Amino acid sequence: MATEQLADDLAAIVGERFVLRRANELLVYNSDGLPGYRRQPLLAVFPGTRDQTIEVVRRLAADGVPFVPRGAGTGLSGGALADNVVLLGLHRLKKVISIDADNERATVEPGVVNLTLKRLADPLGLLYAPDPSSEAACTIGGNIAENAGGPHCLKYGVTLNHVIAITAVLPDGEVVTLGSESGEREGYDLLGAFIGSEGCFGVALDITVKLTKSPPAVRTMLADFTSVDDAARVTSAIVASGIVPAALEFMDSATIRVVESSIYAAGYPADAAAVLLIELDGLSAGVEADVAIVRELCVAGGAREVRIAGNEAERLRLWQGRKKAFGAMGRLAPHLVVQDAVIPRTKLAEVLATIARIAAHYDVHVCNVFHAGDGNLHPNIPYNADDPGEAERVHLAMGEIMRACVDAGGSITGEHGVGLDKLNYIELIFSPDSLDAMCRLRSAFDPDQRANPGKVVPVHSCQEWKSTAAATRHATGAPT
Amino acid sequence: MTVLIQERVREARESHTPLRITGRSYWLSAGRPVAAIETVSLTTHSGIVEYVPGDLTITVRAGTTLAEIGRATGAEGQWLPIDPAGSDDGTIGATVATASSGPLARGFGTIRDLVLGVEFVTGEGKIVKGGGRVVKNVAGFDLVRLVTGSWGTLGIVTEVSLRLYALPERRVTIAMEAPTDTRRLAERLGLLRNAPVMPFAMELVNTHLARRAGLPPRPMILMEIGGNAAAVAAQRDALAKLGAVIEASAETWEKVRTAESAGGSVFRMSGLPAGLAARWERAQQIVGTAEGTAEGTLMHASVARGTVRCLVPQELSAEASNLLSAPNADDTVIFESLSHRLWKKLSPTAISDRVSQSIKKAFDPLDILNPGILGPSL
Repeated sequence: MATEQLADDLAAIVGERFVLRRANELLVYNSDGLPGYRRQPLLAVFPGTRDQTIEVVRRLAADGVPFVPRGAGTGLSGGALADNVVLLGLHRLKKVISIDADNERATVEPGVVNLTLKRLADPLGLLYAPDPSSEAACTIGGNIAENAGGPHCLKYGVTLNHVIAITAVLPDGEVVTLGSESGEREGYDLLGAFIGSEGCFGVALDITVKLTKSPPAVRTMLADFTSVDDAARVTSAIVASGIVPAALEFMDSATIRVVESSIYAAGYPADAAAVLLIELDGLSAGVEADVAIVRELCVAGGAREVRIAGNEAERLRLWQGRKKAFGAMGRLAPHLVVQDAVIPRTKLAEVLATIARIAAHYDVHVCNVFHAGDGNLHPNIPYNADDPGEAERVHLAMGEIMRACVDAGGSITGEHGVGLDKLNYIELIFSPDSLDAMCRLRSAFDPDQRANPGKVVPVHSCQEWKSTAAATRHATGAPT
Repeated sequence: MTVLIQERVREARESHTPLRITGRSYWLSAGRPVAAIETVSLTTHSGIVEYVPGDLTITVRAGTTLAEIGRATGAEGQWLPIDPAGSDDGTIGATVATASSGPLARGFGTIRDLVLGVEFVTGEGKIVKGGGRVVKNVAGFDLVRLVTGSWGTLGIVTEVSLRLYALPERRVTIAMEAPTDTRRLAERLGLLRNAPVMPFAMELVNTHLARRAGLPPRPMILMEIGGNAAAVAAQRDALAKLGAVIEASAETWEKVRTAESAGGSVFRMSGLPAGLAARWERAQQIVGTAEGTAEGTLMHASVARGTVRCLVPQELSAEASNLLSAPNADDTVIFESLSHRLWKKLSPTAISDRVSQSIKKAFDPLDILNPGILGPSL
């Protein structure tokens, strides 16, 4: 049959052991970092070189086969799931092609792990700034697809702000350079459009990123509060003061308790209603002055204690609790819904109070752990998806929280992406004409919409595309 | 308000009338020749839509000038740190549409890094929004980046949301003489790039521009440092260790920005930052090929980005245009202003690739928005 022939052809390109066809082998690839969604790929293929990747994409194009690119599978939007289509895994492409310290940049293949690049840059006094909490596992290619963020994006910007150029293979097999490795580029910002396109515009083959000079001074502090409201107001006050911390993170009591009872215990005060983890960096002289101001704002805003990490070990311990908080929630329940809405930073206290009301109403357990300085919330709910009653309550609570964030003037996702998870919410913030414009942009890169089909923008929003032959094939499920 | 622009576009579409989209009309000499019949001016489409100082974000209509934004935000101790060539009389819509930035990009990124959301009217007369008003947002495909720098050819930008910063406690402008010898210039720029300073701006200016800016008439490196008092003092000390510095007035930057020469040729040469000194020398050779040009030409370069910008007061000489048509492998040349004839020769299009052409067709199928300014729709 056609699938067997396709698998044989792909195996001829990448080698038999790098094509998975059997259901039990594919099981590992049927979810991403969000265990709530499961989709079984038709088959999975793992090219080992750039040339193999191009050949695989061209083979898929020849038969019009839909596919889903995937990095480390740590995403939190159900974005890298292949629903009975081909999964194209890129984690074997992990060559660091060059690091150019003089020009403060590095060129890597998409499968290079975020932290690997950081570790290579560090001895040169340089930093790759985007730091999603999954940095120890997630890949630069995946970061590009999601326009990944992280705590330090408050000061340094998200992935988009750190990419100079990408060579990509488009779904039709054409290899293009987006941006320019050296110098400026005139014309449409195809690089900007590609970053954050969630695997719908093509597959990155190599990526040139900016490296930033490591700040000479870093100061990390923990402020603890007896009221969530106080912590939220202090966050708004720090933002309004004009000091841009390197990071400004918020954890509520539910999160603190989970972290402190896990192996990632960070020494957070167990009886606090909320803590703020604040990092300031820059030139030594300037940082000390800012530390004094931020400490003053915390104390004036009701902080019980402001603890400043005295050495690197203390600093790392404070950070470990934050970075591992999502993982620690696995102790509470088998499943976890993760939200990623963003709200204006003056509305933190108000929206957190609304979230607490919604949680009480639906009797669900919300753990708030988020990038407060950006207004990027993560109200997470650990639950048991096998209990239909609980699953339903969680679903309803999540919908209401999302609407509350949108009503506050926010966005449905700040760094995780839309994927499958937020497909139903995107119409809350974009009009039909705006969504249609996004479909048109996608079609310019991928006229058949074969790359990561059905994600990001609902198919019914694509007014013009629906009339095309490719859309008819999608709708009828006709063999391609 | 936006519906009025939508109405204009719909009428133009019915009658197949190509439109020239303008802000304050300061930049009509920039870009390739546009074959338009009517002009749509955004100047009256201005004003602040929403400004919540505590959020450090602002939403304004496209015709709002940078000066108006500066006044409103300045009253709250904030600013939009963007300083494109020209002056603050230019509009934010034009700044976004042309992706214009200036020396402050060293410290705060280009306009692309500061735009959070856009509203625009497509060539089919549809009102489309991308992004939003919050500072972090990955919802949907990135129409914000798509429209930024598209020179109005995909849609008329009608509204923009932007990220703001607090005005620093102190801002100091410092100038340092730049060596004229290329090897020594490279050394000096290398030292500056690795010095313990985090300048908001660092520009190399040529003698002629230095004189226009009220500095000693020599090639100079102009820097702005800012932050709290301690940070500024530490940086000033660090710079003084590298060479004799003079403190210049804040207006120096204004003079650099506004020192445009009317009716000339403008181009940029960019490449790897570490290659700037050699690129600066090549740029000097290129502009020096015509009699009298070298003296009248204004040149400045971003030390961090490695881009040299040359403003030649007249049409490029045949020799200069020949050199620019086959630049050194380390240089990428982008033109801002040229005579009609030279556009055809040196840079007929920036959108010849398949994806760009498909995008243009999808957003402006009848080619009525600034037709030709980035090159022909095929």
